[in-house]
Amino acid sequence: MSADVSPVFLVNGSTGELVAAELRDGIDELDLQHWEHNWRPYLVERVKEMQAQGVPREKWPQQLHWNWRYKARVAEMFLGQRGFAIRCEGMTQGLMLVGLVSDARIEEQRGKPLVYVDYLETAPWNQSSLQRPPKYRGVGSLLMNAAVSLSLEETFGGRTGLHALPQSETFYRKNCAMTDLGPDAAKQNLRYFEMTPDQAQAFLKGGK
Amino acid sequence: MTEPTKRTMTLNLSDEEMSVLDSLAQQKDVTKTAVLRQALRLYQMVSVRRARGEKLVFENDETKEKAELMLL
Repeated sequence: MSADVSPVFLVNGSTGELVAAELRDGIDELDLQHWEHNWRPYLVERVKEMQAQGVPREKWPQQLHWNWRYKARVAEMFLGQRGFAIRCEGMTQGLMLVGLVSDARIEEQRGKPLVYVDYLETAPWNQSSLQRPPKYRGVGSLLMNAAVSLSLEETFGGRTGLHALPQSETFYRKNCAMTDLGPDAAKQNLRYFEMTPDQAQAFLKGGK
Repeated sequence: MTEPTKRTMTLNLSDEEMSVLDSLAQQKDVTKTAVLRQALRLYQMVSVRRARGEKLVFENDETKEKAELMLL
């Protein structure tokens, strides 16, 4: 898949300076290699450290089992799925897969199409729970911004939805100001979050 | 974000089909183009999954009654 590339900026977690990065419309082989050869070993090493320190399992990274190579291959088969990557200084810093065939659940938007964020992950060195300070800040927000922008392009009004892993709930509730519709029994009781068109406008203006 | 290149086509619809398209676009709060693109995405997804031997089943939220959609 060839990717369209847009210039974006991340924040250096140590200095607070802006760093030029790329938002890529598509996940390609290089991103998957970065996930396999850089993200995975880092994550596995951190989990071993946590295990040795007796950190309870629920505090381990919850996206540990995600296989981006498999997810990207499946997504390529469907028109209704799109992948995005953020690269900075030659390394993939975040990945996201979205679906385009889901409907809104919030009462006043019910039945209207939205962009559903299937998976969103930032490189482990950008996660403050794994590295302090994180190498780059802003990866998750940029990817969510891409999801909301896609929703607008699709004339979905910015409507965006997702099921959040427990460790990410605060990000979606506070940083993205999405509505928390509570646990979803059909999705391993993960909490479902949704953004209305008004919330999408506020999110894009806020630039968090 | 850059939009992917798009191609234009002319679509001939009957009055009834156009009326359904209008109504869906209004109901879903999207453009008619978006309705048709959604339809294509869904149709492709259903086709791929059926080709893999999967079934398309509708379940009633309240009664949990299931009905398979038969596509020939």
